[in-house]
Amino acid sequence: MSTHFFGLNQRSYNYSHSLGRLEMSGTGFRSPVDFAIDAEGVAYVLNRSYEKRPDGVHVTMMSLEEEYISEFSSYGEAQGQLVWPTSIALDSQGNVYVSDEWLNRITIFDKDGELLGSWGKFGSGDGELDRPAGIAISADGVLFITDSRNHRVQQFSADGRFMGKFGSFGDGPGQFNLPWGIGLDRDGRVFVADWRNDRIQQFTADGQWQASFGQPGSGVGQFNRPNSVCVDEDGDIYVADCFNNRVQVLDPEGRFVTALLGDHRMSRLGKEKLTANPDMIRQRALAYANNPDYEQRFDHPNAVKSDGHGRVCVLDPVRGRIQVYTKTNEPGLAQ
Amino acid sequence: MNKPAAEHDVALMAHLLRRACFGASRDEIEAKAAQGYGPTLEELLDPLGQPEIEEDLMFRLHPFWYQSPALPSHEWVHRMINSPRQLQEKMSLFWHMVFCAGYSKIDVGQELGYMIAMFREHGMGSFRDLLYRLCTNPGMLYYLDNNESHKDTLNENFGRELLELFSMGVGMDEEFNYTEDDVKACARAFTGWNIAPAYPPFPHGRSRWEFRFDPADHDDGEKTFLGETGRWNGDDVLDIICKQPATARFIARHLYSFFVADEPPVPAWRLTAPLDLQLVQAMEQAYFDSGYDITAMLRVLFTSESFKSDAARFVKVKSPAEMVVGTLRLVGDHREIKPGLYEISQKSTYMGMDLMNPPTVEGWHTGREWIDSGTLVERINYASELLGNADLPGVRSLVHRLKSRGPALSPEVFVDGCLDLIGPMTVDAETRLELISHARRGGHLRHGSKSEDAEFTRRAGEMFQMIASTPEFQFE
Repeated sequence: MSTHFFGLNQRSYNYSHSLGRLEMSGTGFRSPVDFAIDAEGVAYVLNRSYEKRPDGVHVTMMSLEEEYISEFSSYGEAQGQLVWPTSIALDSQGNVYVSDEWLNRITIFDKDGELLGSWGKFGSGDGELDRPAGIAISADGVLFITDSRNHRVQQFSADGRFMGKFGSFGDGPGQFNLPWGIGLDRDGRVFVADWRNDRIQQFTADGQWQASFGQPGSGVGQFNRPNSVCVDEDGDIYVADCFNNRVQVLDPEGRFVTALLGDHRMSRLGKEKLTANPDMIRQRALAYANNPDYEQRFDHPNAVKSDGHGRVCVLDPVRGRIQVYTKTNEPGLAQ
Repeated sequence: MNKPAAEHDVALMAHLLRRACFGASRDEIEAKAAQGYGPTLEELLDPLGQPEIEEDLMFRLHPFWYQSPALPSHEWVHRMINSPRQLQEKMSLFWHMVFCAGYSKIDVGQELGYMIAMFREHGMGSFRDLLYRLCTNPGMLYYLDNNESHKDTLNENFGRELLELFSMGVGMDEEFNYTEDDVKACARAFTGWNIAPAYPPFPHGRSRWEFRFDPADHDDGEKTFLGETGRWNGDDVLDIICKQPATARFIARHLYSFFVADEPPVPAWRLTAPLDLQLVQAMEQAYFDSGYDITAMLRVLFTSESFKSDAARFVKVKSPAEMVVGTLRLVGDHREIKPGLYEISQKSTYMGMDLMNPPTVEGWHTGREWIDSGTLVERINYASELLGNADLPGVRSLVHRLKSRGPALSPEVFVDGCLDLIGPMTVDAETRLELISHARRGGHLRHGSKSEDAEFTRRAGEMFQMIASTPEFQFE
């Protein structure tokens, strides 16, 4: 019997497990908007929550093996607090940088969540911010920040010194319309989720435009409000294609590889929650029989990260969880 | 015939924008007046011809709006303030006040949100279509216990409210519109109209409720409903309901009460004639001529002399939602998304209107019953705080316009100018004299120097606040 391959098939993705559940604090997430993974495999999950429940605003630390560690920060305008947290990134020492698009502020914590400082000033001049959205940090410690309502990327030192900028409003090469997520590859190239232009743009580290991938739509290689982009150790590009409820995988040249749609199976923390609520077990069983897809699929995924060791993790905010996939270059049966 | 001058009359345009929309800034009123009453009305009646609200930005800045576990009334308030399709949004409020269902029982905010979205999308089309969507709305089926109504154990609640509160009303012209047997037949026709199993809130969030028809639980027997006999299903019953004169009367009267003048409470409609029988009958005719089209009824209403007349202005008590949203639109606050929207949405609750959570299926007691000593204080405090804030763009614009009326304004010109800019509105003679008396204490208003400008702005803001405290400001 012959086997037919179509498209790019040198790698495959297998669902591994999920972590987290819906909670206001502790062992789950509430309206998370971004996350970062440190070298030890600890996820720092940024919870935006909503106005009625400001107690849900904080950063949750949880290992990718689903061990809850801690949480830090809270809602407010004081130092170390957050109003509209939008993105989170780690530097090579493990320090945590959080952007707040209401306060126009970057707040820095150490790896345990102790406040180290903050900087940021509203405006449109060099070094000023108008709704900072995404953060990526290079190996040499330069912060690349999508300055969304100024439709540009700015570069800063860790202490907030302006180092450069690129981009302007528009839909041409190198222009942006409310850019959001940003990621770097191992060679320092910059990838920007050009949110309202429904595309990904690639730049050199000093801001020279190199390529654009995608256009508006729901087809292969098309995007509907992409809000996060990352690049793995092989150069493959991952895009959280939010309004299309999927993550698209592109090869280093931007060609479509595959799409992840969500394959969730009940996480350990999820099972614990259900075990404590017998009525919910019954209700969930009936619902699952009627519509298993609901529980498995992504609902507006808004962040995707590579852990640098073959794992691709997708933040599934409406469901309050992260779905973890393993990438293999060898044929591997899904679990 | 409408006077030609009325086509571009600012006061008439302000009246239209207060009633058919959630009010407007003075700049918007004057721009629409220049455009003309007819073209503006046609724009309002054609919401799909207007730009959509920027939903992508709403969901970007408030990610939880994808699926709000809590009551999403602040999302709705944002739409009321900012939707370019203002009449469409006003109609979603209208239907919410007729087809009442509440969070207190449903306990799932997102289902209320979906119901309002359905009113938004379909509230200006065919009433037959809207009623079908209402009867297949899982939130409403649950709210009225239809999930507990089975072919062998009937629960009449849904059938009764469908007739009494959602389509025909108890009676008209002193006659009853239906009998108890009709209620039972109606309820039997809707057996089997139920809801599919849905996911619980934990661990990963509720799934959207979905309508599911179960033929095995449907009473397929013969029924006599409003004089017609057959093996009616819910669909058939809706066809029979929609062709009743009582249904046309019921919808026309509700529209009149919402947009033109406060009618007595619905339970009184069997024994009391409509306030404006001629206009209501013209809307009934439009209902039948158009095949039950709500927009056709609205066109008759908004082009009527009854609506446009001076006598129709400032005689309806603003509902809390209209007070909250209308004042924000006037002063230009929350015209883009920023923190504080949840607290804004709660203002309506403090004034007696907990959006998405009416007190009963009969809805709120409207008209002058919106006002009591507690809610009046809330209304005045809310409006005067906003109108006294000269940092808000709408207030700044009003001050600027006031300055353009001359280098030195007498107290009389000052007061009349403020009343004109906030309405245009008139207050009774005694109130006007009180306002002028207050203004006289500061003498003429001058501007030009920095100190004069600051004092001008302060006194203008103070006068706006005083006007917000007048009885007339409670009306629209």
